[in-house]
Amino acid sequence: MRILAIDTALGQCAAAILDVASETTIAAEAIAMERGHAEALLPLLDRVMARVDGGFHSLDRVAVTIGPGSFTGLRIGISAARAVALAIGIPAVGVTTLSALMAPLMEDGPKRLTVAAIDARGGRVFVQAIGPSGRLIIQPCVMTIRDVVRNLGSGSVALVGPGATMIAAEARAVGIDAVLHDDLVLPDLAWVARIGAAAEPDEALAKPYYLAAPDARPQDGARLARL
Amino acid sequence: MRVLGIETTCDETAAAVVASGDDGRGVILSNEVFSQIAEHAGYGGVVPEIAARAHVEAIDRLIARALRAADVTLDQVDGIAAAAGPGLIGGLLVGLTTAKTLALVARKPLIAVNHLEAHALTPRLTDEVAFPYLLLLASGGHTQLVAVRGVGDHIRLGTTIDDALGEAFDKVAKLLGLAYPGGPEVEREARRGDPERFALPRPMMGRPKPDFSLSGLKTALRIEAEKVAPLTGTDIADLCAGFQAAVVDVIEDRTRVALRDFRERVGRPTALVAAGGVAANGAIRDALARLAGEAGLRLVAPPLPLCGDNGAIIAWAGLERLRLGLTDDMTAAARPRWPLAELEAAPPAS
Repeated sequence: MRILAIDTALGQCAAAILDVASETTIAAEAIAMERGHAEALLPLLDRVMARVDGGFHSLDRVAVTIGPGSFTGLRIGISAARAVALAIGIPAVGVTTLSALMAPLMEDGPKRLTVAAIDARGGRVFVQAIGPSGRLIIQPCVMTIRDVVRNLGSGSVALVGPGATMIAAEARAVGIDAVLHDDLVLPDLAWVARIGAAAEPDEALAKPYYLAAPDARPQDGARLARL
Repeated sequence: MRVLGIETTCDETAAAVVASGDDGRGVILSNEVFSQIAEHAGYGGVVPEIAARAHVEAIDRLIARALRAADVTLDQVDGIAAAAGPGLIGGLLVGLTTAKTLALVARKPLIAVNHLEAHALTPRLTDEVAFPYLLLLASGGHTQLVAVRGVGDHIRLGTTIDDALGEAFDKVAKLLGLAYPGGPEVEREARRGDPERFALPRPMMGRPKPDFSLSGLKTALRIEAEKVAPLTGTDIADLCAGFQAAVVDVIEDRTRVALRDFRERVGRPTALVAAGGVAANGAIRDALARLAGEAGLRLVAPPLPLCGDNGAIIAWAGLERLRLGLTDDMTAAARPRWPLAELEAAPPAS
């Protein structure tokens, strides 16, 4: 299966084309950025696809990170992924950023409690934690850093994701052995492709996984009393 | 020539296919609109994040529907147009990214359309109006009087210095406990109300430059409403009638001034055009018809479905630009603010 993987949900604008069966990356490019994904993605996609024999029409599937992450960022990647899928009639599947971040440590079974964390601002993180047995310890949610650490127990913890350093500091302060994986700060596109290739298109929809409601409240204050 | 048009500037997700024949006349092959009104109704206005969330879930399906309804494939269109601004950034990014990707995959030209220009060029699709003409564009987000001289060649004669006309209708509706969007609600109430009962101001009337201001009128209405609250059904109808009558007077005066301005700066217009959601208001249309008659001009008001936000007007503007060779590349940026004056004009005819 030849798959196009896209990630614009966090601090990079990245695309890669992989042949999943042979585990080879055909072409890939990633640019580190906190903003500007919208302007960068399509020129990047154009450059990457130019290096692929057969171009877009040789693809079997598109996989995209769906969040949690920057609301705007993830919508850009999803819009592009769904448009590719529409244009050439292939499935687009969604991969959560949290599962993509953790995947490299899950390959041979997790050796210790593994936590993926993404800054959600205001002392909170988008977080997911999986125990050594593969059991879900914290299901994906938004949590304060303090609450995350309270849920970790006392054993050794592996930390991944752009929010990992925030958790590490707090965990170490209470005596937890926190192992920071500096190389797993952003989703690895090869893993996005692998997870995406294994997913069921009907279940792993390429739709945003925000984990947070829009910041808006119904307004009634302006209305005058009525008889 | 066929162009796919994508619209996501505010709270409608829309896609359409428009074609032009050898004679240059436009035909709408499909026009699919998904209105998010229900999702915003509880908030009394459009919530940007809610709008962006709805656009990304819906746009690809709408495009597929528009292509199917037009009985064309993506390969059979000659260009892909998207509204790149002005509008809410979250939605713009969804529409523009989708359009760019389709253009890249299908190897078609991309046209980043200015939403205001799309409204400005619509009478050429519906009524084949020739340049130059005077446009009153009045919607929930925009209130402008524009001399439309050519594709990419517009002079803004006047604008609102505060609220847009449609926004003022929405805010009045909200104050009086009417449903959102407020325009049709206020108009319905006004029909059975007494426009003379409340003395409301006509802001900017008589000023030499054809600008608008609505906030003073809105405040005056609030003060009158508070005086008589709690409101009876009759109070609400009379307040709506008074408000609408004031708006009609202001529009008539401002447009008359713009016509004078137009003649001095551009020459004789071929028509007076009313576009945007507010042009759906019957009382406003009547006033503009009166004014056009007085000036010996044709009043052109595109049919109601084309006055609101939709993909057909974006596709048509894209088509007008494409046939002049005005296209955009993959780095085209969404522009939340994008005045008509900053548009790229067509090269001068040789």
